[in-house]
Amino acid sequence: MSPLETLSAAITGQPAHRIPIFCNLLDQGAKELNMPLEQYYSKGEYVADAQLKMLKRYGYDNVWSLSYVGKEAQLLGCQKILFAKNGVPNVADFVIKSWDDIPTFEIPEDIILHPHWQSIADCLKILQHEVGSTHPICAYVTASTTLPILLMGMDKWMELVLTGPVSLRDELLRKCSDFVQQEIAALRDAGANVIIYATPFGSPYFIPKKMIADWSMPWMQRDLIAGPDNIVYYCGMAPLNTVTELVIDKLNINLFYPAPEDDISESKRLINGKGLTSGVIDDIKMIHWTKQQTRDEVKRIIEIGKPGGHFLFGTGLMPLDIPEENIIALLDAAFEYGRYA
Amino acid sequence: MFETYIKDYNEAVFEIDKELALEVVETAIQNGVTPEQVVFNIIIPSIEEMMAVIAENADTNLAQHFMTAQIAAEITEKMLAKFTTPPEVVGRIIIGTAYGDLHSLGKRIVMGCLKSMMVEVVDLGVNIKAEDFVDAAVAQDAQVIAISSMMVHTATGEDGSIKVRALLKERNLENKIKLVVGGAPYRFDHELYTKVGADKWAADGVTAAKIIKQLILEVKAS
Repeated sequence: MSPLETLSAAITGQPAHRIPIFCNLLDQGAKELNMPLEQYYSKGEYVADAQLKMLKRYGYDNVWSLSYVGKEAQLLGCQKILFAKNGVPNVADFVIKSWDDIPTFEIPEDIILHPHWQSIADCLKILQHEVGSTHPICAYVTASTTLPILLMGMDKWMELVLTGPVSLRDELLRKCSDFVQQEIAALRDAGANVIIYATPFGSPYFIPKKMIADWSMPWMQRDLIAGPDNIVYYCGMAPLNTVTELVIDKLNINLFYPAPEDDISESKRLINGKGLTSGVIDDIKMIHWTKQQTRDEVKRIIEIGKPGGHFLFGTGLMPLDIPEENIIALLDAAFEYGRYA
Repeated sequence: MFETYIKDYNEAVFEIDKELALEVVETAIQNGVTPEQVVFNIIIPSIEEMMAVIAENADTNLAQHFMTAQIAAEITEKMLAKFTTPPEVVGRIIIGTAYGDLHSLGKRIVMGCLKSMMVEVVDLGVNIKAEDFVDAAVAQDAQVIAISSMMVHTATGEDGSIKVRALLKERNLENKIKLVVGGAPYRFDHELYTKVGADKWAADGVTAAKIIKQLILEVKAS
């Protein structure tokens, strides 16, 4: 079975030789090509090359077209990204500096004509050509209710959401939601076959459940107007079990990527054979864990989630500080314990 | 009397209803409650109650924490201007985000709560070098340095808390200035704070204020 078939079997509950194993190595690609992060992320070809090399070396199931989350801010006008030597790039220029900027803020008319789209398109073209028929190609889309964080910062957005004028907030959300619709369509057209829909404001860690139902949900429905195919509900490593039923009911999404703190048994009960949920390792701990600790945690997660299928083992956005021996230990254990007899 | 105000005020904050929270305070003032009583008998006990709720039950959310801090800070600032005598300051802290980190929400929540608890806060802003944290703490005679990191590499990097700890040690300041850290990476690995040389950590901004106040009192007592 190809990794794509393994994933499909897990979703539908068909027999398979093992569970799908997703390992999200992004910034590690720069190390793979022996480049500084800024140079690495300057071309889609580099990202695709590194993704394919790491896929070959480690043998997990997925590749990524994502460079860094701030790329979405660049597509929306951000002029500066702060690159670190050893970690995730930061948005260093907020497009919306005050609420007064919202009425004049504009999204691209056609996202694929934007200069910053080119590297994404180049990356996806290579990945699609090389592994498009065999492997899940993951893309990352930030929900409209979260996208303003990249445009104005978390605290200004939180202030607008909770205390600002509703009309101004909704004006920004409409523009962001239009952008999300475009982005999802463009990514699908370019060959992404798994869309990680990152929606922290769809997690009760961020806002009350009632607000998720009354406020976030209509915007998420608007974002996903083209349908829930291959959309994975992900709250940026924040818990989501308590909203899973609501999401299934209102968005028809049946693929979930919970937080490490979500109870896996409960995630399985909630998905109830209707799609796929994931056991996600707390990979920040892997920075300091031993190989044995890493193996033990992988075993624990898979032993809970594997029975009955509809389950994927995955990582967060693996920090660069994780020693390679722990990445190998994680994958060895995942392949070993993830097998079906 | 204050119990009713605290209850009504906290219910409003829990419902993320800023207008209602402000109305509760306005009603209290109209009923003869003094600005000093608003701060010390309503706002501070309300923050402490939120701290207790968070400690007992994790089922609160970031929006509630944000509102706790923002409303408290706003009301306290207004009330302080009307105090008949300046309040006694509990202590002073230096706060900022780690070098390379531009995320400021957590810092803002901590600051809002601390200001209402009569702690002087010197905000260095975002993307702060280790030397600047220590130099400011010495210059301002602060008891605590608080560093917020949203990203793993800014939490664990050599230019962040690890360097602040090294500088405190090098300058023989470890008994005079304590180091507190917070932010997403620490929520995922509860032992991470020890690996970056911090004295304490907090899982959220409201709890951070409680921990910082305790540390200030410890330093001042030593």
